[in-house]
Amino acid sequence: MHSKNMILKHPLSVRIFHYLLVISFVPLAVTGLILYFKPFSESTMNLTIRVHVIAGILLTFDALSFFMIGYKRVVLFLSRVFSISGNDFKWFAVLGGYPQKLLLHKKVPVPPMGKYNSGQKLFGVCVFIGGVILIFTGLALWAFPHNLPRGTVALLGHLHTIAAWALTLFLCVHIFLGIYMFDDFKAMFLHGKIPYEEAKEMAPLWVEKEIIPLPKN
Amino acid sequence: MNVIAKTYQKGEIPGVIAINASVCKGCDACKRHCPTGAITGMFGATHSIDVDLCLSCGQCLVNCPFGAPYETSDAVDTVISKLNDANVTVVGIIAPAVRVAIGEEFGMPAGSLVTGKLYGAMKKAGIEIFDNNFTADLTIMEEGSEFISRARHAVFGEKGENGEPIGPLPQFTSCCPAWVRFVETQYPSLIPHLSSAKSPQQMAGAVAKTYGAKVWGKPAEQIYTIGIMPCTAKKFEASRPEFKSAFEYQTHINKAKSETYADVDVVLTTRDLARLFKKMKIDLAKEQDYTPEILFAEYSGAGTIFGNTGGVMEAAVRTAYAVITGNELTDVEFKPVRGLKGVKSASVTLKDSKYDKEVTINLAVVHGIARNLKPVIDQVLAGTSPYHFIEVMNCPAGCINGGGQPIQKNGSSWIEAIRPWFAWK
Amino acid sequence: MSEQDYKYIENPLHITRREFITITGIITAFLALPSIWIRSVATANNDYIKARTKNLYQDDVQSKIRVSHANKSVARYYKEFGGKPLSRLSEELLHTKYINRTKALS
Ligand code: SF4
Ligand code: SF4
Ligand code: SF4
Repeated sequence: MHSKNMILKHPLSVRIFHYLLVISFVPLAVTGLILYFKPFSESTMNLTIRVHVIAGILLTFDALSFFMIGYKRVVLFLSRVFSISGNDFKWFAVLGGYPQKLLLHKKVPVPPMGKYNSGQKLFGVCVFIGGVILIFTGLALWAFPHNLPRGTVALLGHLHTIAAWALTLFLCVHIFLGIYMFDDFKAMFLHGKIPYEEAKEMAPLWVEKEIIPLPKN
Repeated sequence: MNVIAKTYQKGEIPGVIAINASVCKGCDACKRHCPTGAITGMFGATHSIDVDLCLSCGQCLVNCPFGAPYETSDAVDTVISKLNDANVTVVGIIAPAVRVAIGEEFGMPAGSLVTGKLYGAMKKAGIEIFDNNFTADLTIMEEGSEFISRARHAVFGEKGENGEPIGPLPQFTSCCPAWVRFVETQYPSLIPHLSSAKSPQQMAGAVAKTYGAKVWGKPAEQIYTIGIMPCTAKKFEASRPEFKSAFEYQTHINKAKSETYADVDVVLTTRDLARLFKKMKIDLAKEQDYTPEILFAEYSGAGTIFGNTGGVMEAAVRTAYAVITGNELTDVEFKPVRGLKGVKSASVTLKDSKYDKEVTINLAVVHGIARNLKPVIDQVLAGTSPYHFIEVMNCPAGCINGGGQPIQKNGSSWIEAIRPWFAWK
Repeated sequence: MSEQDYKYIENPLHITRREFITITGIITAFLALPSIWIRSVATANNDYIKARTKNLYQDDVQSKIRVSHANKSVARYYKEFGGKPLSRLSEELLHTKYINRTKALS
């Protein structure tokens, strides 16, 4: 892959954020599942929840600091994932053409997409809302279960469980598709760049409207 | 339970509360409400209760956000079968705090005072009414007299009428079975300081099956007494084997012959009673007010405030004042012992008419053993306590917030400021 | 890696002061709503306790008699049956003894 035409899709700050997200969220999901099913002995469960707490704090700091350092990127992200158009419905009608491609080896026409396709947008919305819920409820459940009203704690607990299940299931899909789109995988985990031509095919609207040549100074 | 309970007598319920491990999330909330640290299990692991330390107070049960703790003894169906037995007179001993809470189980606003409706619902269910406020008044007569004799003994060296030994000061109240068990299991050296007066519930059982048997004209063994309490520890208390004084009275004095029976046969919590009413299709909220004629339903305002923290003390002050000075109080409300402060104290200076001398009595009121008791008890142990009479109630705010009360979703037993507490171990 | 190995970047977002304030305002509001809600439920924590306490004191205020020694039925109990406080029968029926549970029982 030595195309001269590369786009910097994920700048370093995003990649660091994503790395921290990986090393906090994956342990959170795993320990969360263990905490849900409680299979181990007392001291192992205690160790599990300690890992869960530490990873949770890391996730909180990660989210907070990226919010401050990468403020503009957060705003861009939000405006992208929360914008809906007719294309999104068409995209979901064919599920982005993925099932056809994977199962039948057929190519079906897919409506043009921006930086994120409709599935990724839905994922983005869920990750954002779910993440905020998880962080808030998680911190409250850790620090205040004894003195907040019992019904409130129970409600926070249910929210935490629901959001955690949703995001954990999403995470599996995300990992699968992330590895399937191997160029994007390398971009996110290594150098941040994807080939211009491929981007033009996958995200025509994005390349058309938002990509500029690197300014020479 | 694989451990053998060591702190129970034969016949006692070994711990009224247990934790359902499949529901428990290991969040540690309950530990901070437990007066004795009886809850074991590390943060994150399922918790369980060490029955030897447990007081059966039920605070963990009403404060667990996830509803994991449960009661191991449930007498609702037994009581219903007794109600259907024509040979049995079922007597319901209703504690003060029940009347301001049971309405909540029938959709009424928190704290609704429903004495009349409660009497009505009990009558409909066929339960004879024995208001525990009556015995609360009786408790004040006994416990107050005991305090006066202890105080006169300490100050003037007065001897007991029959030469009986007189206990030391400070005197502790003994109405709260969780507190009594706390002393018995943790600070046995303080036992002489506990008032020897039974709790109102146990007085009620003993009176119902002796004097009450005469009033109702029924043999004692046909009277079935149920304590209706805001409290799970009362279930334990009623099972203590020494509480068979009515049986002993009837067999030794009246030479009656029968199988042994307890003074209080079973205890229903406020929640249990609501369940019983619902099973019998009685909607308490729609009941008519009813005023029973029986003398056991007559009570004073001093008896009813037993359910609040400071209530026993206030009631005792009202009566002790009259007994010691020979005059009635003009304003009976004794405000310093009211409110939600952890430890409340007050001094009363009055003239003992018998000795014609001024005496100052220092009082303290403690509620919420888990958070507030330690400093007060340490002083007593060190012999430096400035107090003469100390009321202790296990539950924060007193019995109105007891472990058997309806569980209000929009609150918890936490009385202090909301502060984080980061669980780790 | 040198900087020359990519040719394109995303058009950087330009946010004016006004937009910044608006966006931050919206986000803060979104975060503030749950905080306000939590605060309000937390301050209402003891309301049910206070309501029960208040109404029990109300029962006292409503009562015709407000001191235990004026309860006629209690007086009748002592007259017809119990004798007087701390009498022999009172000791038998209304008083008890406690046990040291730090030694193994049962
Ligand atoms: S409060 Fe309830 S869920 Fe939490 S540790 Fe205690 S019993 Fe378990
Ligand atoms: S019932 Fe009371 S003493 Fe027993 S574990 Fe629960 S809070 Fe602790
Ligand atoms: S304070 Fe009242 S409700 Fe609580 S344990 Fe004691 S007697 Fe029972």
